[in-house]
Amino acid sequence: MTQLALVIDLNVCVGCHACVTSCKEWNTSGVAGPLFDDNPYDANPTGTFFNRVQTFEIGTFPKTETVHFPKSCLHCEDPPCVPVCPTGASYKRREDGIVLVDYDKCIGCKYCSWACPYGAREIDEQQRVMKKCTLCVDRLYDASLPESERKPSCVLACPTQARIYGDIHDADSAASMAIRERGGYQLMPEWGTQPANHYLPRRKTELHIHADELVRSDNPLKKEDIRKGPSREVNLDDWMF
Amino acid sequence: MKTTYTQIENGKGFWSLLLLLAGMIAVGLAATFYMEHNGHWVTGMDNQIVWGMPHVFAIFLIVAASGALNVASIGSVFGRKMYKPLAPLSALLAVALLVGGLAVLVLDLGRPDRLAVAMTTFNFKSIFTWNVILYNGFLLIVGIYLWTMLEKRMNKHKDQVGIVAFVWRLVLTTGTGSIFGWLVARQAYDAAILAPMFVVMSFSFGLAFYLLVLLATYQLTGREVGDYVLNRLKSLLGVFVASVLYFVMVYHFTNLYAAEHTGIEHFILLNGGIFTLLFWLVQIIIGSLVPLALIYAPQFRQNRSALTAAAILVLLGGLAQVYVILIGGQAYPLINFPGYEVSSTFADGIVNSYVPTLAEFLLGFMGVAITLIMVAVAIAALRILPSSLADKVMDPHALVAAQAKK
Repeated sequence: MTQLALVIDLNVCVGCHACVTSCKEWNTSGVAGPLFDDNPYDANPTGTFFNRVQTFEIGTFPKTETVHFPKSCLHCEDPPCVPVCPTGASYKRREDGIVLVDYDKCIGCKYCSWACPYGAREIDEQQRVMKKCTLCVDRLYDASLPESERKPSCVLACPTQARIYGDIHDADSAASMAIRERGGYQLMPEWGTQPANHYLPRRKTELHIHADELVRSDNPLKKEDIRKGPSREVNLDDWMF
Repeated sequence: MKTTYTQIENGKGFWSLLLLLAGMIAVGLAATFYMEHNGHWVTGMDNQIVWGMPHVFAIFLIVAASGALNVASIGSVFGRKMYKPLAPLSALLAVALLVGGLAVLVLDLGRPDRLAVAMTTFNFKSIFTWNVILYNGFLLIVGIYLWTMLEKRMNKHKDQVGIVAFVWRLVLTTGTGSIFGWLVARQAYDAAILAPMFVVMSFSFGLAFYLLVLLATYQLTGREVGDYVLNRLKSLLGVFVASVLYFVMVYHFTNLYAAEHTGIEHFILLNGGIFTLLFWLVQIIIGSLVPLALIYAPQFRQNRSALTAAAILVLLGGLAQVYVILIGGQAYPLINFPGYEVSSTFADGIVNSYVPTLAEFLLGFMGVAITLIMVAVAIAALRILPSSLADKVMDPHALVAAQAKK
């Protein structure tokens, strides 16, 4: 079975919220929309957002690292929001593993919001039905779009290409390769929900520089021991640079 | 001695009460229209607190409904003679409480207009679906139970139907408790004890409701209730209140023992602000310990005001308990990054705030009004209330003494 998902590289996510805004823009205008906004322009916007960036710090001040963690519906392979839905409005598609809500069947009981351990369920307070990330299903199969754009809106918007989209059941997909080769992990796997979305961990890139790399060990002037200590005279470096 | 059941007289007082309750229902409906027309953003509910004050009332009434049937069950299932005359009111109140609770629940749905979808499209993996079946089944079974009690030709079946109703009510409250007990995602729930705790809560709330309705109707209609009946019901209420305390204690001790749950326990028991206050002051002290004192203190023996106060306080404590379970559990943030303090511009990782609006309260009160209006109309139309519950009728010792005198 195909399982479409996102793999998010926390190493390069800078927390710019481009994924949040592009998601909101696309989905409020698309089939999932309009998405309700109660207070969109203040410091703490309230309303319906399918994608949110959460931030936490690792370590103790002042030695801390900030991690930005974009989170949307994780399209779990065993989604706890689906069995709790009394009318079956929440469902998981067999063909691509996307978890969706049938707005016409949703009675707005909000019980799925209680059941989702990731807080990915959103009540549209105006339409009074539950909504969530659709993985931009209305883009993925839209033949009128160029193939390169048949991806979730957040993936296209990410300036650092932190979001990789693909079928995680296809071992050759970019998403699967990223998970396999770069230590991809799931959020809270202990719940047994098997989230399809994965995260690539932060990786510290360290550059080791030895002292002899800071001086020109192959400096011919030095080699021949012509110069002793700094000299105000013109040397070979002055000629070269 | 044979019990005589009569309708209450519908004088001026009766019609005034009906008018008041109808007014409350009209205001509740107006509040519902306001919330549904504008959307839930005009309420205190949001993406974090998705069930608010109306659900507190709804669950409180639904839990009390199954408990109100207990008085009838003690008569028919356990064969206690004294409770048999009390049974029709018990069954009526159970139905009325459930209808009141369900009315609030349904009108607080995002899309109450899609009730037909909920009634026709079932997902049997959902405990909610099972609750839809359990609630409707309860109304049907208790309706039949009431019929077997009121219709002489059906009297012979009432014990059997009573047993079915008793089993059904236990399953029903187990279902209501399991709405929370089966929730793994939230720290406050995911506990099997919630189902039996809800059953015991229903015993307590239901009996408190029953006592208040009984005392009020007999007082207002000038009928007599003897101390024999009241003392029995009072002792029973004491046992139920103490049992709820016991379950609450076990629930919290179990959670405190598991490191995973200590966060939510500290939140509810120590530093949860309004939730801590409601838990200790209203649920434990005002709603449990004070009623126990009023019930068991020798000074208050035979004191009807004390009994009335105890029942009112039990209901107040019960409402606070449901509020703490429901809203407190949602206010405590989801733990997605254990050990870290999470922040975002979308209120993630913080204790969620909830301030109920007037409209939500009005919808909740509407449920209570529906319950009371149903009871009032039914006892005026049907022979549900015994003409007298005086000691000389109810107390077997008094009866024997009277016969000996003759």
